[in-house]
Amino acid sequence: MTDSTARTNKARSGGGKRMLAAAAAILIALAAWKAGASAVGKEIILPSPERVLAEAIALFPTPRFLSALWATFLRGLAAFGLSALLGAAAGFASGTWPLVGAALAPIMTAIRATPVLALVLIALLWFPSGFVPIFSAFLMAFPVMATSAAEGAKAADPRLLEMSELFRVPRREVFLRVRLPAAAPHLLAGSKSALGLTWKVVVAGEILSQPRMALGTGMQESRVLLESAGIFAWALAAIILCGATEWLLGKASEKAAIRGL
Amino acid sequence: MGYRIEGISASYGGLPVLDAFSLSMRSESVTVVLGPSGCGKTTLLNVIAGIKAPDSGLREGFEDCRFSYAFQEDRLLPWLSARENLAYALSGALDREAALERVDRFLEVASLSAFAASRPRELSGGMRQRLSLARAFAYPSELLLLDEAFKAVDLRAKMDLMDAFLALMREERRTVVCVTHDIEEAVYLADEVLVLSDRPARVVDGFAVEVPRSERGLGSKATMEAESRLYRLALGI
Repeated sequence: MTDSTARTNKARSGGGKRMLAAAAAILIALAAWKAGASAVGKEIILPSPERVLAEAIALFPTPRFLSALWATFLRGLAAFGLSALLGAAAGFASGTWPLVGAALAPIMTAIRATPVLALVLIALLWFPSGFVPIFSAFLMAFPVMATSAAEGAKAADPRLLEMSELFRVPRREVFLRVRLPAAAPHLLAGSKSALGLTWKVVVAGEILSQPRMALGTGMQESRVLLESAGIFAWALAAIILCGATEWLLGKASEKAAIRGL
Repeated sequence: MGYRIEGISASYGGLPVLDAFSLSMRSESVTVVLGPSGCGKTTLLNVIAGIKAPDSGLREGFEDCRFSYAFQEDRLLPWLSARENLAYALSGALDREAALERVDRFLEVASLSAFAASRPRELSGGMRQRLSLARAFAYPSELLLLDEAFKAVDLRAKMDLMDAFLALMREERRTVVCVTHDIEEAVYLADEVLVLSDRPARVVDGFAVEVPRSERGLGSKATMEAESRLYRLALGI
């Protein structure tokens, strides 16, 4: 057996063990949930897992749900895209030029300290309901992305930067070939955190702003009708959406790592 | 045509590093500057390249002069192939097509053509240093500065590296300034050797190595005589 084959087999067996551990954790959580629901004995307070599953199976194929899912997905994508692009640009600038960093620092602190719900309520005064979750999520994820990018900008090896300067390598090449690859791990870590935060804030914003099509609106309507299993089913959809996009981002990171970026 | 620095003094934070230092470099020759660790050899290269401004003194012949470097450590980009590493260093000097043509030529001279697609982590320490030397030669410079470029490898790799240097010199002659504290290395490579004092560095003595390159090898009488002369100068005996 070659070294690389042995490594591949070891990685596969490690991956299998991790899957098993995750499945076991889910089963334990489901069992605890079931036990809790039985102990409470009231579906309106804590519905059982099978009741939520039945609700989700009934809800997920409906056009209303699919439209809401698509609309929430687009809002999340827009908010994440904006925060990733502008946050990375602002972070790179503040990591490269200390004066920019000093100028941005109080703004970042203010955004970080602002409670999500306060931000959503302010946004409600300024924007149409469909745009409120995008604005709120963008503002919340922006400092996360900017901080990671600023750390990434400082991660470039000074000896490689000196070598580039001595060989008079153009700035664009230095950015693409030295600064960006060195910052990539920080940018990916920041993206993962920003993405998770984006979904949380988008759904919270939808619950308060009530756009016509949204997972948050579905949750809020179920709450008004006291359909606890419905709230859980809508929340399950948000969790799946968040998990699926995080998985896709992880796969993209792996591909980038394999290509040596 | 040659290059000259005259009466250069330089300091860092008030600490004198070079003291009235003068040095002439003949065009297309190898000048080896031999001195103890920490005596100011890297500062000398930085002054020659114009990176460090001297406190006083003159620099002559460096107008429009381009420099290339080989460092003690390889300073290769780990995410780029050997070929792309060289092309990266040339990206400000030549267009892409001309750069790649030149890169391929110098990879061949440095016996690294078979590893053009390899990343630095796939190469041995000696091969990485050879790649760093090939990069310095591939860059179209007038003056090549070597900062203890043969230090970080074992004896066998060092011999290969010095032979690669001589092969690269045959391919395209350059004016070279090489700083080192290694006497065997100095005698093997130099056309002229200068011996420096402790910090603040000044030239103690120097001589032209007149042993033909073909006779400079381990155990040759002429080489041993030149080395013995250098040991005496370096130790002040």
